[in-house]
Amino acid sequence: MNGVNGTWRRLGTAVGFALLEHARNRFALVLVLFYIPLWLSLESWFVARKPASFMLRATGRTLTVDGNHLTMISGAVNTVTLIVGFMMFMTTFKSLAFDRRLAFAGYPRVHLLVAKVAAMTLAAALIAAYATAVVHCYWAPVRPGLLTAGLFTAAVAYGGIGILLGSFLRNELEGMFLIIMISLLDTMLQNPISNPEASKDGVHLLPEYGPTQVSMAAGFTHAVPYRQLLLGPAWFAAMWLLGTAAFHLRTRDHRPRGRTPRPAGRALD
Amino acid sequence: MPVTPYALRVRDVRKAYGSRQVLRGVSLDLRPGTLAGMVGENGAGKTTLLRILCGQTAAGSGEVDIRGSLGYCPQETVLNDFLTVDQHVRYFRAAYGLRSTGRAEELIEELHFAEYRHTRVDDLSGGTRQKLNLTLALMHDPSVLLLDEPYQGFDWETYLRFWSLAARLRDSGRCVLVVSHLAWDAERLDVLHRLREGVAEPWEPGGRTAAPADGDGR
Repeated sequence: MNGVNGTWRRLGTAVGFALLEHARNRFALVLVLFYIPLWLSLESWFVARKPASFMLRATGRTLTVDGNHLTMISGAVNTVTLIVGFMMFMTTFKSLAFDRRLAFAGYPRVHLLVAKVAAMTLAAALIAAYATAVVHCYWAPVRPGLLTAGLFTAAVAYGGIGILLGSFLRNELEGMFLIIMISLLDTMLQNPISNPEASKDGVHLLPEYGPTQVSMAAGFTHAVPYRQLLLGPAWFAAMWLLGTAAFHLRTRDHRPRGRTPRPAGRALD
Repeated sequence: MPVTPYALRVRDVRKAYGSRQVLRGVSLDLRPGTLAGMVGENGAGKTTLLRILCGQTAAGSGEVDIRGSLGYCPQETVLNDFLTVDQHVRYFRAAYGLRSTGRAEELIEELHFAEYRHTRVDDLSGGTRQKLNLTLALMHDPSVLLLDEPYQGFDWETYLRFWSLAARLRDSGRCVLVVSHLAWDAERLDVLHRLREGVAEPWEPGGRTAAPADGDGR
């Protein structure tokens, strides 16, 4: 029982501090508060309100919608992926040495990793809801709740990519560059604006594909594409598992097992 | 014949980075209640040796045996810029599985940085960051302490307090190994080793006076 209490206490402590770290990350907060409205407002202002047609593969139907609205949804997906991707890359990258010190002091690595995911999930949900609210200031998506869900899945997919890159890259610039390049490629290859048909096999394997399909469906139809809703979290799970493996490799204890005790003190009550 | 107790035993530890052989067979025995020093010029492999002793780096070959719990103070301060001093202490209390933060409180008072308890690390001076770095390594009262240049950034008063603290830890039976590229503190140590050409040897600087190792000056 004491062990269970200790486990929950450690997990709670790690989650609390991971959340605090995000809350105190002023640069990320500024990006969220100002960059999302700025990006979406500029799109609303500059992009013509002409009809645009694209194939929504989630429903199998070709839709003709307001090009301005289409661009705003695409922009919302793009902003949340970049912000959460950067956020998770930076937090993983910058705290690697500190996390290793905690792990060597006896903190279970799984708790540290789960804490990062819990904090990211909450941050991604808040950011997705905020981006939906900003879109709603300009026009009314058909299903705003589903749009939030679509943006959330986009955010967690790139959060996973950020965690993976932060776990093995050794340079901040490399991480920033890679996240931008991945996001650009991803958007160009499957986005309804750049590729309205998106008909080639394999397009569904791109990380933004599922979230974009869900967000488009939410903006313009009453359909709920359940399968596509799972693609973003699947991307996150795959990236997180790889990131976890990299984290374990970089924080492993090289002392011979059984001969040298861990540097821990007394047992936690 | 009785077996000599030891707190830290290192046997023929070797380490190479590519073709560069950094450690060529380091052996060392330190008893409980010892305040030991390890000096060597820049790049001699001191930090590599400490990282091997604490398990962060794999040795090419050799054996390391540490009896009891271990505390390691890295040369670079390893802290989280977004958290305060108190939050670090709470985090490491959970990591070490301690019932209280009593020992950390004592160290904070002793090293004179209690006024910064609620200050975030990125607002702390280099010296105060180093005090916290050291506190996190000592707060679980480990049996063996590996301290890598632990007084970098300390002012003179704090530097003296550090040595007084190290002496008290030694007197209470702890084994303390302080690594430095200088031999200024030889008089404060029970035993001094010099890491040279990948091997550690007992060393007594000329006449036990302050002297830099291999011409390194402060």
